[in-house]
Amino acid sequence: MNVQQAIDEANRCLLCHDAPCSQACPGGTDPAKFIRQIRFMNLKGAARTVLGNNPLGGVCANVCPTDDTCVRACLRSGIGQPIDIDGLQRFAVDYGRSQGVKAFAKGKELPHKVAVIGAGPAGLTAAARLATYGYPVTIFEARKQAGGMLRYGVPETRLTVEDLETDLNEITALGVEIRTNTRIESKNAAAKLLDEGYSAVFVAPGLWKPLALNIPGADLDGVTTALTFLDDARVAPETIRTLVKDQFVAIIGGGSVAMDVATTAIRLGAKRVYALALEGMTELPAMGDEIIEAMELGVVIKPQAQVSKVLGENGRVVGIEGHETEWVVPGKLTPDNAKKVDGTRFSLKVGALVQAIGQGATEAVGGIITPFKSDRGLATADKQSQATTMKKVFAGGDVVRGAGTVVDAVGDGKRAAEAIHELLSEGQVAL
Amino acid sequence: MTRGIDLSINFCGVTFPNPFCLSSSPVGNTYDMCARAFDMGWGGVVYKTVGLDYEVKITHPSPRLNPLHRGSQRVVGLQNVEQISDRPTKDNFVDLARLKKNYPHKALVASIMGLTHATDWEKLAKMAEDAGADMIECNFSCPQMTVEGTGHKAGQDTAVVEKLTSITKSACSIPVMAKMTPNVADMLPLALAAQAGGADAISAINTVKALTGVDLDTATPLPNVGGKSSSSGYSGTAVKPIGLRFISDMARDERLKIPLSGMGGIYTWIDCVEYLLLGASTLQVTTAILQHGFRIVEDMDEGLSDYLVDHGYESVQQMVGKAVRNVVEPNQLSHATQAISVIDHDKCIGCGQCFLTCRDGAAQAISIQDDRMPIVDEDECFGCLMCKHICPVQDCITYKTVPHHQATA
Ligand SMILES: Cc1cc2nc3c(=O)[nH]c(=O)nc-3n(C[C@H](O)[C@H](O)[C@H](O)COP(=O)(O)OP(=O)(O)OC[C@H]3O[C@@H](n4cnc5c(N)ncnc54)[C@H](O)[C@@H]3O)c2cc1C
Ligand SMILES: Cc1cc2nc3c(=O)[nH]c(=O)nc-3n(C[C@H](O)[C@H](O)[C@H](O)COP(=O)(O)O)c2cc1C
Ligand code: SF4
Repeated sequence: MNVQQAIDEANRCLLCHDAPCSQACPGGTDPAKFIRQIRFMNLKGAARTVLGNNPLGGVCANVCPTDDTCVRACLRSGIGQPIDIDGLQRFAVDYGRSQGVKAFAKGKELPHKVAVIGAGPAGLTAAARLATYGYPVTIFEARKQAGGMLRYGVPETRLTVEDLETDLNEITALGVEIRTNTRIESKNAAAKLLDEGYSAVFVAPGLWKPLALNIPGADLDGVTTALTFLDDARVAPETIRTLVKDQFVAIIGGGSVAMDVATTAIRLGAKRVYALALEGMTELPAMGDEIIEAMELGVVIKPQAQVSKVLGENGRVVGIEGHETEWVVPGKLTPDNAKKVDGTRFSLKVGALVQAIGQGATEAVGGIITPFKSDRGLATADKQSQATTMKKVFAGGDVVRGAGTVVDAVGDGKRAAEAIHELLSEGQVAL
Repeated sequence: MTRGIDLSINFCGVTFPNPFCLSSSPVGNTYDMCARAFDMGWGGVVYKTVGLDYEVKITHPSPRLNPLHRGSQRVVGLQNVEQISDRPTKDNFVDLARLKKNYPHKALVASIMGLTHATDWEKLAKMAEDAGADMIECNFSCPQMTVEGTGHKAGQDTAVVEKLTSITKSACSIPVMAKMTPNVADMLPLALAAQAGGADAISAINTVKALTGVDLDTATPLPNVGGKSSSSGYSGTAVKPIGLRFISDMARDERLKIPLSGMGGIYTWIDCVEYLLLGASTLQVTTAILQHGFRIVEDMDEGLSDYLVDHGYESVQQMVGKAVRNVVEPNQLSHATQAISVIDHDKCIGCGQCFLTCRDGAAQAISIQDDRMPIVDEDECFGCLMCKHICPVQDCITYKTVPHHQATA
């Protein structure tokens, strides 16, 4: 959007009182306010509102599932099309930056150091906010570069490295130190960091253990997981191109990540792509526009289908076998509730199989927080303060909520930063 | 959001924490409304005009407002038939006193209007000063007062303006501002009359006498008050150019030495900057608040702060009147050069609106090619730039400056 288009769009906004769009943002962004600012020509102010609330405001403009949050809540829908809130957010951020707007600044340096584990959206947000208060923050990051799923998961078509790095640079400009290639995996790591002189620890390592099916043939060459597939597609696209080029590719899963794998496979040259899901067509966990985009690219979605066996030749996948299913109890969308329908056996010839059935916490995470109060293999943390059962240790993002969204992780990072600030500014924590 | 930049300005010896004020109207009708406005960041309030209720009991016609919409844009202008305050005089002054007590650092202006005797002005001025008002605004400008000889009828007569200003001024020791009506050919004689009567400042404009529409089925103009209507006070975006004109007229004339408070159609910080550059020192707003609420001051504050920083001004005062010297009479405009419209085909979406306006309203200088792209015949273009003004695509039509065709021919 250019200025003219943004003003036109902002002029459609009803400037609602107690605006529902603003209440619908899990990250606490205030769309009604930045849209009003655009409407009243306070264009720089709009950028301050977005980025001041959310240091990943630029990223979120690209990746937020707004049809599920602010845009869904938009009251303009009552009299026509809702407001293009993500478009206006992108405009506000880009315009503000082009005018040199700095939404946040490093605070006056305080004595308490804070450690953050994981440079994904949750960790980055907490770090940025703590740095604006003045705390020296160190992020420990296992991978070569910061960003978490934003760099190694989300496809480049949705979020370019450039857009990611623009947000990242503003965060590092606050003096946040990101120690990359530094995986925290020792037992009692959080306690050790506190011993080393950090006054608080925020644990945000996300979910990086791909879940895999336990079916015959799952260990064949050419069978992989969504996380590995998408990670490679971003850092080593040639390996994925070789895997899928001119091949029939099957994906197990019907969620957003499965759709990302499917569209990526097509873009990298796959001849035909199937997505097989246990859910019915209207029950697919992926969002409507993701499904439409995949189908428009030619992805064949096979709903209510279960893969039971991977067929191989010379150690490589050559096909899959399965059957159609129905729910024993309607509406209960869990694998153990799926029942085989007789006479629906099918087999497909495929040269690659990608399992997109979710991800869990890696083993290392269990050791970081002790005792690891685990709920479904996730960390537990207080919903308001993100506090864990360990004193001075907080947790948030996917590792707490399970596979969530970027803006959820941003919200957790903000809450954790506020709670840490409260803890440290009360002066109860000795240096 | 305020950026913490000092926007204060000294106006007639009174410090306004920022130049943004409610203008006298229903937006500043009660203590609660003004208190909320102060809390949200307005620097001053010109309280709803108060008269003496024992002289005349004020009531308002109903419905009292009628909007002018244009396409999907609502309320580009607003007509009202409202009188001065219908609340008891005493209640209004009690509210003013409470406002000053609870908001001592905000600027509080009492707007007054005598209705039957010249001495009403004296009484009201005393009451305003006693209540703690920092200033008085004399309402010489309401275009729909039902009491003969008041409102803009008084404000159209230089002798009356001078006399009433002088009576008000001698009854109190606080600064007095005279609010002008735009329903005159020339505001200067009236502003000078107010100055001669002792006014410390001029505010303008009050509303423009107008009719916004007619109900087609009943053949009744709007607002339809029991089957009749009156031409009456028009405000909002549509009147901004009229307000800017009168403010600049007064700012340009060296005989008028007192400062100005500008209003008429202020919605954004850009409107604010325009009024300031053309000579206003403080700014007043009604219709934008009627439409969007007090919250809009946040954007005025943030936008004006950015403007000051970006243009290197150290105070609002420094920018007041900066555009005044660039306003001249039409016969002083240069005819040496002219504009030629330049159309960027990479941006053009091929709607052809520029072709139509040029063919039917200008120089027939634009033709359309087979690929829908418009071409400008530079020899024919006389640079009115209507094509640029109506083009829906940002920066698609610009212009270059060349020697004037008629001068070189
Ligand atoms: C393919 C895919 C597409 C997605 N698309 C979207 C989308 O479009 N919109 C959206 O809102 N959400 C999307 N999501 C979800 C979103 O990416 C996550 O919810 C979000 O990134 C979670 O943030 P986080 O900070 O909790 O974790 P992560 O982003 O996972 O970041 C965790 C970081 O911690 C690091 N780390 C892990 N363990 C350790 C350790 N032991 N020591 C040090 N560092 C460690 C990791 O390397 C990583 O950098 C997508 C997810 C996937 C998988
Ligand atoms: C409903 C209404 C009532 C008004 N009442 C008064 C009034 O009592 N006294 C006065 O001096 N001006 C009154 N005005 C005029 C405004 O103060 C102001 O001069 C005018 O509306 C132009 O500014 P705007 O375009 O920001 O509204 C009134 C305006 C409106 C719309
Ligand atoms: S809900 Fe929609 S119309 Fe209302 S303020 Fe938000 S974006 Fe504007």
